[in-house]
Amino acid sequence: MPSLKSVKTGAISAMILTSAIMINDAQALTVYTAGPGSLSKSLAAGFEKQTGIKVNIFQATTGKVMARLEAEQANPQADVLISASWDTAEDLQQRGWLQPFESANAAKVPDQFKTANYVAQGISALGIVWNTQSNTPEPKTWQDLTAPAFKDKVTTPDPALSGASLDLLIGLQNSEGEKAWQLFDQLKANGMVMSGPNAQAVTPVLQGAKAAVFGAVDYVTYNNIAQGESVKVIFPENGTVVAPRPMMILKSSQHADDAKKFVDYVLSDEGQEQVAKAWLMPARTDIKAQRPLFTEIKLLPTNQDGSSERSAVLKRFGALFGQ
Amino acid sequence: MSRALNGFILLALLLLVALPLLFIVLQALFPYFGEGSWRGAFSAFPALLDDPQLASMWLGTLKIGGGVALCSLLLGLPLGALRGLFRLPGAALWDLLFLIPFLTPPYIVALSWTLALQRNGYIEQLTGINFDSLLFSSSGMIGVMTLNIFPVVYFAVSRSLLASGQRLAWVARVHGASAWRGFWYITLPLTLPALAGGVLLAFTLAIEEYGVPAALGAQAKLTLMTVGIETKLADWPIDLPGAASLSLMLSLVALTAWLLQRKLTGSSDVTAVGGKPVTQELAHAGRLQNLMLLPFAVTVLLAVVLPLGAMTLSGLLNTLSGGLHLSNLTLRHFGALFSQQGDALAAFSTSIGLALGAALLTGALGFLIAWRVSEGKTRLLAMMDGLALLPAAMPGVVVGVGLILLWNRGFWPVSPYNTMFILLLSYSCLLLPWPVRYVSSALRQLAPTLEPAARVHGASRLQALRLVVLPLVAPSLLAAMMMVFAVASRELVTSLLLAPAGTQTVAIFIWRQFEQGSVGQGMAMATLTLFASLSLMLAATVLMRRQAR
Repeated sequence: MPSLKSVKTGAISAMILTSAIMINDAQALTVYTAGPGSLSKSLAAGFEKQTGIKVNIFQATTGKVMARLEAEQANPQADVLISASWDTAEDLQQRGWLQPFESANAAKVPDQFKTANYVAQGISALGIVWNTQSNTPEPKTWQDLTAPAFKDKVTTPDPALSGASLDLLIGLQNSEGEKAWQLFDQLKANGMVMSGPNAQAVTPVLQGAKAAVFGAVDYVTYNNIAQGESVKVIFPENGTVVAPRPMMILKSSQHADDAKKFVDYVLSDEGQEQVAKAWLMPARTDIKAQRPLFTEIKLLPTNQDGSSERSAVLKRFGALFGQ
Repeated sequence: MSRALNGFILLALLLLVALPLLFIVLQALFPYFGEGSWRGAFSAFPALLDDPQLASMWLGTLKIGGGVALCSLLLGLPLGALRGLFRLPGAALWDLLFLIPFLTPPYIVALSWTLALQRNGYIEQLTGINFDSLLFSSSGMIGVMTLNIFPVVYFAVSRSLLASGQRLAWVARVHGASAWRGFWYITLPLTLPALAGGVLLAFTLAIEEYGVPAALGAQAKLTLMTVGIETKLADWPIDLPGAASLSLMLSLVALTAWLLQRKLTGSSDVTAVGGKPVTQELAHAGRLQNLMLLPFAVTVLLAVVLPLGAMTLSGLLNTLSGGLHLSNLTLRHFGALFSQQGDALAAFSTSIGLALGAALLTGALGFLIAWRVSEGKTRLLAMMDGLALLPAAMPGVVVGVGLILLWNRGFWPVSPYNTMFILLLSYSCLLLPWPVRYVSSALRQLAPTLEPAARVHGASRLQALRLVVLPLVAPSLLAAMMMVFAVASRELVTSLLLAPAGTQTVAIFIWRQFEQGSVGQGMAMATLTLFASLSLMLAATVLMRRQAR
């Protein structure tokens, strides 16, 4: 059977070829990152230009990134991890997966956004995204969305799919206790619906099917506004939460030195300016942003102790807005 | 020779299907399997059974799967029968049009329908009517999914009729049966295996589908198992064992459906191709021709024109909030695709290459499996058949996790992980059921005497296979390979998980655009790839036809 033989030869030579590529690639730094794709690409390009070290990016949602990290445990691939949820970093640290590193460039990062093991790459905040042409009054507080004007016109991301959205629920519960749950009840009674991850909640508001999102990640919408969409990001007077994006080096990394250089680069002037360009708040306070900074937003108290609180809130909210 | 072939097939099935599945089973049983530890066996199950949503997920999944299978039957059978029995103008064109739903990622279709039908959507902007409450309901979900999935039944039925012809029905006509009786008692029973296979595929596709339930389910207050599995993998801490065991449950549903189908059609004899092939004589529709084209036109309008229109439009609108105005139209989203440092183009060629590879690989392997399975009734062969169908029941995300668990191990001297080959493996695993289903239903219509007849006349086994069997099942095989190509060119879920760092496929590219809020950009890419792959397939069809002449 000559045909089968040639297929076999082909397959084997292809395998040899790809393993050659893999060996070559083993020199590169592997970065797993959630969030803006354009940002991770420009960071990788800038870093490569400066140091000559090639960077392989795997970019997906936080959930996908973490699922891949978890499934790869037997043979870890990632050197640097940038997640969109501070919790994931805390948890990985407790598991002992992280390599301590404090970058010299982190000096200007506020203490609340860095630890000995991880540091924020940038920061986003949660707000109300409101369609300015929706014939509804501009909301100023979270409670405004329970008004009759917003009947059946509010949507919210599924906190089970969006870590940042869950942070907001926890923040509201921590600061207002049961009153927060009264608010959620009223929103439910006013016809608020829960839909997929962040983007899936925002799109209906862009088209006008809904008037506002309760708790959307801000930088995506700033990008929409820059594209000419008539929506507005509102940070409610009664406070909201920020979602710092932790950046960390994994203990299993074979390229720890290069990984440290990468973290240095992201926190350098050039790196932070690219973060600002992606409509995030830079982690360093001395870099200018084109949007409100966390110092200008009223923040809810955050005290996250453990995952039990998270799963309890998630369960209760899911029961309220699920079936 | 046949033993060597069996060995080869089993090896392929082992690598493509059995091993990834085994690693998922192990992950479900041993929660710490991912880090290489056997501790805590079975500890994932109590939590899973404790899930208050489990029952409603089951019911919802069965309801949607059954509904889609039924509706696909109701839509696909008459259309497929018309196509397979009558000389219809533009027959090849209708076939190509019905392939379009496969070329479009389901989440894009769902999003397009949403943008068209929801409150203040395109339809309301044009006519003042919205279908908001219909769209976000279980009927809406079944409708959208049926329009996407029914072609599997259409192609199964029409290919089977085209292959078997109607000579037997004409014999009945000669003996005085009416045309309707001939169809009901002869033609229809002959297509039964193909029909059952098609409906089974529709059912498994529907319960395995993620995009549409994710886009419409939350507002329809319906959580399906695939969405449940995805949720377990979405928020920290990742529940790998929970997702694995939930997927096993889902695979069991599909396996049950497969057993049921085997029982129902296993014993009937549907031999229709018994001797010298004759040129196919399709009936003339005569004056009824235009009437027959009507259901085709309506279906194309609903399944192709409307969602495609909404998709293209979304790519052409400057801003979504600007609405449908001439002044809001722009080509900037399309233009941007060419300026992103070649990203869009690279993603396109990656996807096309992978889709082509998957079509060839699954086509060849699927043909061999179906042929071996059709020959005997041994337990080994039944096992092959079952294994080859199983991936249709496994959610893509789970196949992805299984492949990582399997291949990302230190003990492999060479591993496809972190190369393109892992994507080829995952697509081939997921899509192998298609050629197997289509070819085996075609093979069941061949008389078992054909091959021995060739052997008696001195042909080797391979010659008989190549010169007798292959040409007779070629229409079914080609249709299946086209569908594999179409589906693989836009596969999202496993691609997201498995793509080697630094590589993008079309679906990943589009998904990322959406994630960053660039709906217009994503839709532009979807539109462009759709038309590009469609013209590729059109060119291939024309070329093949020319060669056949």
